[in-house]
Formats: sequence, structure tokens, C-alpha cells
Amino acid sequence: METEENNQNVNHVMASSGATGSISVLLHPLVVMNISEHWTRVRAQEGKAQQVIGALIGKQKGRSLEIMNSFELVFTVIENVVIDRDYYNTKEEQFKQVFSDMDFLGWYTTGDSPNESDIHVHKQICEINESPVILKLNPFTRNADLPVTMYESVIDLVNGEATMLFVELTYTLATEEAERIGVDHVARMASGDSAESSQVAEQLQAQHNAVKMLANRVRLILEYIRAMERGEVPKSHEVLREAKSLTHRLPVLNSEIFQEEYYTQYNDVLLQTYLASITKACHDLHQFVTKFNVLCDRQGIMGRRMRGLFF
Amino acid sequence: MSSQSNIALNNWLMANNVENISSVDEIYRYDRKQQQDMLAAKPWDKDPHFFKEIRISALALLKMVTHARSGGHLEVMGLLLGKVDANTMVVMDAFALPVEGTETRVNRLENAIGWYHSHPGYGCWLSGIDVSTQMLNQNFQEPFVAIVVDPVRTISAGKVCLGAFRTYPKSLNKVEDFGVHCKQYYALEVSYFKSALDRRLLDSLWNKYWVSTLSSSSLTTNADYTTGQVSDLSEKLEQAENSLGRAALVGSGVGVSGSSIEDRRSEDRLAKAARDATKTSIEALHGLLAQVIKDRLFNQVRSRPA
Repeated sequence: METEENNQNVNHVMASSGATGSISVLLHPLVVMNISEHWTRVRAQEGKAQQVIGALIGKQKGRSLEIMNSFELVFTVIENVVIDRDYYNTKEEQFKQVFSDMDFLGWYTTGDSPNESDIHVHKQICEINESPVILKLNPFTRNADLPVTMYESVIDLVNGEATMLFVELTYTLATEEAERIGVDHVARMASGDSAESSQVAEQLQAQHNAVKMLANRVRLILEYIRAMERGEVPKSHEVLREAKSLTHRLPVLNSEIFQEEYYTQYNDVLLQTYLASITKACHDLHQFVTKFNVLCDRQGIMGRRMRGLFF
Repeated sequence: MSSQSNIALNNWLMANNVENISSVDEIYRYDRKQQQDMLAAKPWDKDPHFFKEIRISALALLKMVTHARSGGHLEVMGLLLGKVDANTMVVMDAFALPVEGTETRVNRLENAIGWYHSHPGYGCWLSGIDVSTQMLNQNFQEPFVAIVVDPVRTISAGKVCLGAFRTYPKSLNKVEDFGVHCKQYYALEVSYFKSALDRRLLDSLWNKYWVSTLSSSSLTTNADYTTGQVSDLSEKLEQAENSLGRAALVGSGVGVSGSSIEDRRSEDRLAKAARDATKTSIEALHGLLAQVIKDRLFNQVRSRPA
């Protein structure tokens, strides 16, 4: 009984684990980088890490949210955290001008699991928007997973009274092409090194990294299934089913239509390369002829000899 | 023994949230006094080539690229915040205009250090108007830098296409007849930096992102752009051919000296056409590489005997 109560005290902001989120969230990596920079800047300026709070904006279509950008919020700490509404209102006007089709979707903060003060801030945010989502980024985590968790709030009956609780949401990362290239670029270069390698090497390196990840994942699944066979881990039919459906999907596309399209595309690229090499050859030849002309001209009479050699 | 003490140390560090602001993150600190001293001294007045390098933060890069991309085929512009560090300009953040109106200084200590705009599809350089705008900026808002980003070329090449430029003051140049503005400004050497937290986040982002890297097919994404490039190339070749024809006529009549101007022009055209053709075909080849890899991985399955 006592331990139950203790657990409840620690975790009474989270709804029971049975409750699942009702909306799907698409998160842009830019938001993650924004929060990271905000936190790093405050830390570098103040000398020690502090909690930062900010707002999330994006698009909402029915039950799916797309969080595309974020900005900082000013807050004061008088016992509890109080959000500066005026600052928010000014910022809202401004971002409406540039990002006219984006709405206020929620707020973010740094820290570990959600706690009392988060509920308090959340209630203030609820005055702005009916059902905001919360994003928590943990800057001190040591494992390799993305330390970002998203929550939404539900009103639940706890001990007879209606309280606000958080429910964890699952999110996916948005993969817009330009963003992906930017993220790739900053991820791969070490600070302060100049990329002298060839373009082909860079491209192949990126592909190699991705393929390596794929190989690792497949190896992991294989090991898991082998362990299941040996009896080291309990058999999970769901995992087995999914693995089987995965292997059944190969080969992915082997129809004739695909082969035709594939080779047409291949030929197009080769044609383009041919064009480029012909152009280059023309240019080189032209240069050669011009230079030769200049050389020859020195020997003979202007004009006539030159023409004679190349007619 | 030492690994155990390492583990213990790490645990202690984590438990106490020991702030070890590594030198990597020092760059994020804004030293107001140091900046004001720099602004007072103005070492760039005496040397038009004073700033040689520029360091751009990961966030600023992402913001610029995303903003430029959101504009589609329209140019967009924004402001850069940052500071100066000896001969290097440092860009910490970027803001799309008109968000950077009046109020944004509340939470930002840094000053405006430059502006950026996009050239969707036509490369990273300064146009005539850009050059005059920048010269004006450099007269009144020093230190200031102009960054140009091309989101279309970024996506087509699979590499970030960005350039940072500073103009020379007017008195140093005579505008040449070929309308070459490129002699009025010079490019800074660009490098990027990220914080320790950025690095960790980016690594974990990669854990989820590799799927889209593998599955992206740049040939299909860039089909429009490639077609545009090929027809552009054909126009250039036609022009080159015409001017070559003219050069031949002129050359046969007058001799080497007369043909030199036409020849040089047509040679420039042909050289440029060759360069563009090579660039486009390289990008196409990269896309094809990705397609072949995918085909081998997912389509050609050799079943091993059980």
C-alpha cells in the first residue's frame, strides 16, 4: 500500500499506461535543432544549464499535427513558472506574418519526465489554445535514442476529482528533402574539418552509412530470432510474424513494367553522360585548334598558312 | 580498474549535472564587452579583405535552407544574427523577414551580422542589385555579410549550395565592360559548427533518418530541374555555335588579332556549356548510383539452400 502511494506521488502526472494518444504527430528536425540551440545558448550565457520554455507552431489537419517550427517564450519564476503573455502575443503576430498558414500547436521544454511544474505551465498554455501538445527534450540522456518525447493532456478522474494528466504520444520524423540534406551535411562533417574528398566519395559515403544501418538492423533481427530458437528469449509470435512478412516482401518490385522503366531511366542518364562527354570533347578540341592556330601563326604569314593547315 | 572508475566518474557527473561547458560550446557565449570593443576598433575599415572566413551554426544553416525551400521559386530573404571573432564572422542564427521586425531583441543578445536571400535554381552569387545593396550595407551596418542559398541546386546535387560574400568598397574597382560584377565582391570560406548537444541529437536523428536517405530517389525528385538544365544546355550550345560561326568569318578575313574577341567569347560560352553539362550529368549519375544500390539490395534476392 505504501509503495503504491509513493509511486503515485512520483508519477501522478502521467495517465495510466493503458491510455494511448489520439493524434498522430509529424515532427520536423528543425524544431529539435531549434530547442537544442536555445538550451545551449542559455547555458553558455548563464554558465549553467537552465530549463528553457518555448512554443511550437505548425499545421493541423484533423487528427494529424505537423510541427514545423518553434520560438522562445519568456517566463518568470515566482514560486511557479509564469509565462509572459504579452511577449507571446507579440511573437504570435509576427510569426503570423511570415508563416501565415501555421498555428500555435503546443509548447516545449527541457527536462526529464514531466512533473508538477509542467502541469502548471500547461494549464497556462491551455488558455491560449484548447489542447496543446508538449514536447520534452532531455539534454542529459546518455543513450543513443532521440531524447524527445511528446505528450498530450487528458482530464481524468483521480481520487474522485478531475485532474489533468499527460499521455505519451508517438511521433514520426518528417523527411522533407532540403531539410534532410541540411541535416545530413551538418551531421556528417566534424567541426573544423574541410571536406576535400571527391563528390562521388561523399555520395557513396552517405549511401554506405545508410546501408550499414540497414545491415545492423537486419543482423539484430536475425540474432533475436536465433535466440528465440535457442530458447534464450521468450517466443514472440508477433515479432516472428512481422519478420516473415518482411522477408516475403523481397523482391520488392520485379515486374516487367518496373524493369522497363528502370532501364529507360538508366539509359536516360547514360545519354545525358554521353551528351556531357561530347560537349566536353568539343570544347577540348576547339581549344586545341585555337591554340594550334596561335602557334602556327607565329611561323608563317598571318592568315593564309593557318587556313591552309586546317582546310 | 580504470574502466570502473570511468563508469563511476560518469555516474557522478550525470548525477550532479556537472556543467562542463566544453570549448566547443564556448562559441555560443556572447561577450558583450568584447563585441563592443571590436565595433569601436573597426579593423575592417582599413582592410577590405579583413574577413576571410565565416562560421555558420547548424541551426542557422537549417533555418536558411528550410526558409528558402518554403519559398518555392520565389526568392526569400532574412536576417542573420551573430558576432565577430578576429578575422572570422560567426553566424549564430537566422530569421526570416518580416519576423525580424522590432521586437526580437528581447531574448537575443547578438547583433545583426548580415542578411541572406535565395536564388532558387540559379546558383550562389551576387547579382548587380545584390552587390549595390550589400555595398550600402557595408557602408552603414558594418560588419555585414551577404549569404546566398540555392535550395533547388541543394536538392539536385544532394549537397548544400551556399555562398557568403563581402563587397569591395567602390573606389577600388572599375566596372568592366563585360558587366562582370564578380570582381566587386569576394567569397568567404564557409565552415559550419554545432554544439555538443547538437551532435548527440543529430546522431540520434540519423538513427531514424537513414531510412529516408536510402529510399530517396533524386532522379525522380529532380526530373523537372534536370530537364530544365538540358534544354538550357542546348540553348547555350546553339549560342556558342552561332558565335563560333561568326568568329570563323571574322577570323578568315582579318587574321588572329581580329578573331580574338569573338573567339574568346565563344570559347567562354563553350567552356561554360561544357562545365554545366558535366555538372548535370554528375548529379544524374549520383542519382543513378542510388537507384542501382536499391535495386541490388531489394530486388535481386538469391535464396540460399536451407
